[in-house]
Amino acid sequence: MPGLTSNSSVTTGSGSAAEPVIDVRGITKTFGETTALSDLSLTVARGEIVVLLGLSGSGKSTLLRHLDGLDRPDSGTVTVLGAPLSGLKGRPLRALRGQVGFVFQQFELVGSLTVLENVLTGALFRVRGPRLGLWGYRRELKLAALGHLDRVGLLAQAYQRADTLSGGQQQRVGIARALMQNPRILLADEPVASLDPESSAQVMALIREIAIDSGLTVVCSLHQVDLALSWGDRIVGLRHGQVVLDTATQGLSKQNVMEIYGRVTTSTGELDAIETELGTELGTGEAGEPDEQSELDLATSSSAWDNRR
Amino acid sequence: MTLTLERPHADQADAVIPAPQRRVQPEKIAAGLTLVALVAASVLSLISVDISLPQMVASWSNATRFFDRVGVISFPAPGELLYLTALTVGLVLLGTLFAAFFSVPLAWLAAANTSPGRGWMAVARFLGVLTRAVPDVVLAMVFVLMFSLGTLPGILAIGIHSIGMISKMFADAIEQIDEGPRLAIRAAGGTRVQEFFSGVLPQVLPSWVATVLHRNDINLRGSVILGYVGVAGLGLEMSYAFKSLNYSLGLGIALVIFALCVVMEIVSSAVRTVMLGLAPTRQGIGDRLLRRLGMTGQTADASRRPWTYARLRNAVWGVLAALIVIGSVWICDIKWGDFLTVWSYLPETAAKFWPPSFGNYDAPVMLAAMGETIAIALAATILTIVASIVIGSLAARNVAPSPRVRAGFRLVLVTIRGIPEIILAIVLIVVTGLGTQAGTIALSIGGIGLLGKLLADSLEEVKRGPEQALRAAGATRLQVYAGATAPQGMKALIGHSFYMLDTNIRAATILGLVGGGGVGYYLLNAGQGSRYDLVTTIVLMILVTVVAVEGLAMWMRRVFR
Repeated sequence: MPGLTSNSSVTTGSGSAAEPVIDVRGITKTFGETTALSDLSLTVARGEIVVLLGLSGSGKSTLLRHLDGLDRPDSGTVTVLGAPLSGLKGRPLRALRGQVGFVFQQFELVGSLTVLENVLTGALFRVRGPRLGLWGYRRELKLAALGHLDRVGLLAQAYQRADTLSGGQQQRVGIARALMQNPRILLADEPVASLDPESSAQVMALIREIAIDSGLTVVCSLHQVDLALSWGDRIVGLRHGQVVLDTATQGLSKQNVMEIYGRVTTSTGELDAIETELGTELGTGEAGEPDEQSELDLATSSSAWDNRR
Repeated sequence: MTLTLERPHADQADAVIPAPQRRVQPEKIAAGLTLVALVAASVLSLISVDISLPQMVASWSNATRFFDRVGVISFPAPGELLYLTALTVGLVLLGTLFAAFFSVPLAWLAAANTSPGRGWMAVARFLGVLTRAVPDVVLAMVFVLMFSLGTLPGILAIGIHSIGMISKMFADAIEQIDEGPRLAIRAAGGTRVQEFFSGVLPQVLPSWVATVLHRNDINLRGSVILGYVGVAGLGLEMSYAFKSLNYSLGLGIALVIFALCVVMEIVSSAVRTVMLGLAPTRQGIGDRLLRRLGMTGQTADASRRPWTYARLRNAVWGVLAALIVIGSVWICDIKWGDFLTVWSYLPETAAKFWPPSFGNYDAPVMLAAMGETIAIALAATILTIVASIVIGSLAARNVAPSPRVRAGFRLVLVTIRGIPEIILAIVLIVVTGLGTQAGTIALSIGGIGLLGKLLADSLEEVKRGPEQALRAAGATRLQVYAGATAPQGMKALIGHSFYMLDTNIRAATILGLVGGGGVGYYLLNAGQGSRYDLVTTIVLMILVTVVAVEGLAMWMRRVFR
């Protein structure tokens, strides 16, 4: 078992640690009327485990999609692993995506395929042409996939249909699929939002363990402050598509986060205006700092309640 | 509706606020009026085709006299019968597979979520409509001219004509997939083709297989008529028998075809149920074995996929299917050389068909004939709708008073679906004589099999909530049906009815070939008399009508969405 797991270890590139693996500069993205990201900048160094914190609609998913070239910014630049994404398409883009693993909230497995086949789809960028069924993949790839399944504790389920697994198991298959890419960066978009507390804890622990073992850079979006504090090395708080908080988690308490969150959001007049506008639109009346806090509290308290259960 | 909306307003502000007006879009009014006009036209058509019960009863003596003359029904020699049956099945199967093969790229282009561009989408959809609009009989007529006699014209005619429906249903299936797995493959650096094979295909495969099987049933029934233009198989033998007034043999072959269709329908519906309801088991012997292997950590052994029951079954089915296809190719004895020589015939054949002309007839005669065909289609559709609402409703699980009633009506629908319309028409023509009446009745009975089934399925898919609410309020079974089930199924009924009209216009043409009235009679005459320019004219008329109905249906679906 351990021998196989070593297969999954990542070829950590050269390049100095000071050089950021992710460098986002002033990106703005709008979808019709709504602004998803506005003039957002972020750099992530190699090996960092970063949590993107924010409510739904704060731009977390959009930012993550930009980091994998699934969305293109209206303005600004995204540089991942030293490659500017703006001009990238075709084979070079796919090669870059291959180095960036992506874990989805809804797992996004093909339910009618076996678990092993789903994991193998993570190797598609390394083979030429389409694959149908298991016989299309080389034996080394199959062994590597089984190794990754072993790593996430699902070797015994390798030949089951993916839709027969529980949510937590499916997400672990999703992680194995991402590992199959031998990625240098792992992006996770609310990986535990659809899971029960117990599976959530398992999955989050697994991601962190793998990240540290393989020296992966991780950017993971979450909406629970507690979880973010206990899990990440660094927290980046998003709000209306802007970074409102960026700090190490060490020595940070939940109270700190809530305070900082509140202060930053109210210190900018422009944000206030946006918020008031959004607030009235949502029918919450005069919105402001307290409103935001209560909303965040709601999110955290619900997760705390879940944990108690 | 307006009343309930008014009340809370009135409570809040004491002033009387006018009830909000129900705003109706002008487009909806236009669509509604069109619908009313269509129903009126159908009723008028029904009157014009002159179906009179007394006449039917009177002709009953005709029928008895006819069957007396036929005497005992006879069959071809067993060996020959077996060969003909295998040939027909093989030919139809190859045609359907041909269509399925070419439908894949077309569906990929036509589906909104996979299409590389709007232009490609439009082209692919137009090709689909075009292949659907040209009747397979006409295609067979053309191919019989270009290829040496044999099975190839039939395979190609069935194949090309089926592309339209299969590619449309394939595309619909692609549009209904879960986009997530595709996105995951893109995020992992997969190409568009890899996305399709690993993300899309596994999701749509069960529905695609169901579509192909369904179309294969349709094609088997349709293959009978191809015999009338010279395509080998049971249909050809039957047409020879009827032309030589050997009714006893003709009816015998018709009976064989009917049995074949019913058997095929049952087989394919069994396969469809297995495919769609493929229950994944986690408790198979192989699963348990593997779990044990996993526990001991022997990863190397796990690299071989275990032979679970499901895998074994799939493999056996797969091998069987492959053998059937190989057998079909073998029995059809395809002259592959024809694909090389056919090109030299192409200009010559094209010259025969172009330019279109009215031949020995003048425009009004042909237009009247086309009008008659449309009238038959409309009349048959309205009859089918009325009958299907009754039979289809009783065949729906949530409407039928008891499971036994549902089973009974489902059986009626399967039986009706099994009867090739053409055989129905021939029998009716024998009974009631040549003319539109026989065609209309044949079409309307045949349609019940399809529309009744579609309607029953749609009714079973409606939301259960409103039905339960009404039942809880003490409504009778009929009140529940009228108040909850039927309104929810209305949209589906409109959609299916247009599909029926669309099918009936083509079918009405074809029925004309055996004397069911309308433009089909001229089509057969023109084909047999080598007046191919007239064939082109008739095909163009059919094309225009079908495209118009298609457009109308699309508009209706959009407005009443």
